[in-house]
Amino acid sequence: MPNITGLSERVRAGERLSGDEALELYRQAPTALLGRLADAVRARKHPGGIVTYIIDRNVNYTNVCVAKCNFCAFYRPVGSPEGYVLGFDELFRKIDETIAVGGVQLLLQGGHNPDLPLTWYEDLFRAIKARYPAFKLHALSPPEVIHLSRLSQLPVPAVIDRLIAAGLDSIPGGGAEILVDRVRKLLHCYGKATADEWLDVMRHAHRAGLRTTATMMYGTVETDAERLEHLLRLRDLQDERGGFTAFITWSYQPANTELGGSEATGVDYLRTLALARIVLDNFDNLQASWVTQGGKVGQLSLAYGANDMGSVMIEENVVRAAGAAYCMDEVEIVRNIEDAGFAPKRRNMHYEILGDPIFRERDVPRMLELATARADGDTSVPDELMNYPARSRAAKQLRIIPN
Amino acid sequence: MTVSDTELTSLAASHDIISLGMLADDARRRRHGARTTFVRVANVALAGDTAQTPSPLAGEVRIVGTPASRAAAVERVAQVAAAIAGSRGVALSGFSLADLEELSAREGVTLRALLEELRAAGLELVAEAPFDRLHDARRSIEEVNIAGLALARLTIHQLPSPDPLPLLKAVADLQRAVAVIRAFAPLPRTVNPAVPTTGYEDVTRVALARVIVDNVASIQVDWSLYGPKLAQVALTVGADDVDGVSAEDDMTEGRRRAPLEEIRRNIRAANQEPVERNGRFDVVVR
Repeated sequence: MPNITGLSERVRAGERLSGDEALELYRQAPTALLGRLADAVRARKHPGGIVTYIIDRNVNYTNVCVAKCNFCAFYRPVGSPEGYVLGFDELFRKIDETIAVGGVQLLLQGGHNPDLPLTWYEDLFRAIKARYPAFKLHALSPPEVIHLSRLSQLPVPAVIDRLIAAGLDSIPGGGAEILVDRVRKLLHCYGKATADEWLDVMRHAHRAGLRTTATMMYGTVETDAERLEHLLRLRDLQDERGGFTAFITWSYQPANTELGGSEATGVDYLRTLALARIVLDNFDNLQASWVTQGGKVGQLSLAYGANDMGSVMIEENVVRAAGAAYCMDEVEIVRNIEDAGFAPKRRNMHYEILGDPIFRERDVPRMLELATARADGDTSVPDELMNYPARSRAAKQLRIIPN
Repeated sequence: MTVSDTELTSLAASHDIISLGMLADDARRRRHGARTTFVRVANVALAGDTAQTPSPLAGEVRIVGTPASRAAAVERVAQVAAAIAGSRGVALSGFSLADLEELSAREGVTLRALLEELRAAGLELVAEAPFDRLHDARRSIEEVNIAGLALARLTIHQLPSPDPLPLLKAVADLQRAVAVIRAFAPLPRTVNPAVPTTGYEDVTRVALARVIVDNVASIQVDWSLYGPKLAQVALTVGADDVDGVSAEDDMTEGRRRAPLEEIRRNIRAANQEPVERNGRFDVVVR
């Protein structure tokens, strides 16, 4: 493996690899070597041996969605009896619970619901900020922003400006899947956002002063070259704007989806994570996806380039719908970080250190399973929805339509 | 390659699981190359349906459960042996050797007599010998051999201590004495659900087992107990054999998610070559 040896030396020396070089390394290098190289990059960027995590809650405000991505087991079509929208009071209660366990933000994402206009989001954000001024809103992935742009007939920068004015603090990197349009067409997610559109939302957000994250869902129909192309497009935008705080990758979860098929393996996850750490040399932080890989492979991620254990989550709906139901509370995350030889620290979305584990400062109830958006059988419709115009026939029938 | 005690202590204490894993992977490849074996197991309950016919796809039919009495154990073995009598290449295993130690003491017969009776009823392999539960591991394993049975695997019931070295050295010493252990599964069968073992602990234990227990042919990981992801990673750090693959060809989630395809795909994705075996470690050709 003469070329692999040469490429490895260049990675160790901190040099950037081209796309072709990175692809060769990914295809040819043994898993242990990829891990070694990724770990060396991590250690160079984070020499203090700190591994961070955030206490936040992953809330999906609605599961009604018109996008119809074939890899998604979470969404329900407009008019479905299983469709839901969370009310403001339900969200306040979730925030109260989050704060009680030391949480600092909501990761708020949902389906592309045609019956939730931009004003609903603005009112929600303002109401949250009025009640919880210090609480952060990490909300609305790029496809949701595009959906709101289309719905409101406003350009994306204007939508972002309005959301910021209402209280948006940062944008999560969801909906990226693979940033290659051939793949997006096959996954039926080209319509919700093309690769360029996804990147443009992030570009506008960075210009507006927001920090965002970037993600990749792999293991569907993409080739390894397309997986790499995704990383290179993120690297280019990070060179241009520098607005990404972190990168998170996870494997497609096939259960209950239209696309079906099988999940990528644990070794594939570790190799992909390591590749990301090597290629994304301008990203400071890589998260471990324990929610899709389980706690054990999630912890092993710390040897393959990750420097962050992600979120305690408290609640999760999307991945659970597709068959993965892992849970790690703060105690368990900290135990795994320390067992791997690192020092655990709480952080915020900007990766600023907030302190040591909160359960060592005060009593925090243990969490043995993640909550869901709603209890089974709860079909209630929030009162405030009646204040907003609906677009779908099904929703119009349920609401008082303002003149 | 010999690793000194000092080096072992240092490796066990280190968080550098990649270096340890590479060392174990070298040892594994010297012994097995890229070949990874797996066995499809049909579990049959001791107190289960007497008319149950185990899957014909199994390479090992395993009677599981703790026997209430000698007579019940012998009767169940005879029933299952009769049910699989026409299946070529299927090995009938059953019981924990620790349970059989206790049963023989309870019923006032020698362990050897009990084992011989089970063999006469059709048992071929004692399914597992949990090292940390055996009263006299060396003697009991020798009795298995003398009774004309084989031991399918040496296991660990529960971790006696966070330090894996003393236990792994004891296992290597045991094999030096008995020389009949074909496979060793170093990950515990029982964990505290409130404090499960971590990925680092599991990987370290598998890798150290391959390096230290170098006189046992196979280091085994249980597919159903540990799950595909951790089990697959274990194959890259010293394990070469996968136990507990389902013998049911469940295609409800599609062909690629059926157990046989899933195990083969995972082994290949770990850059290894899957080889199906039966309970006797004979290669199964379908």
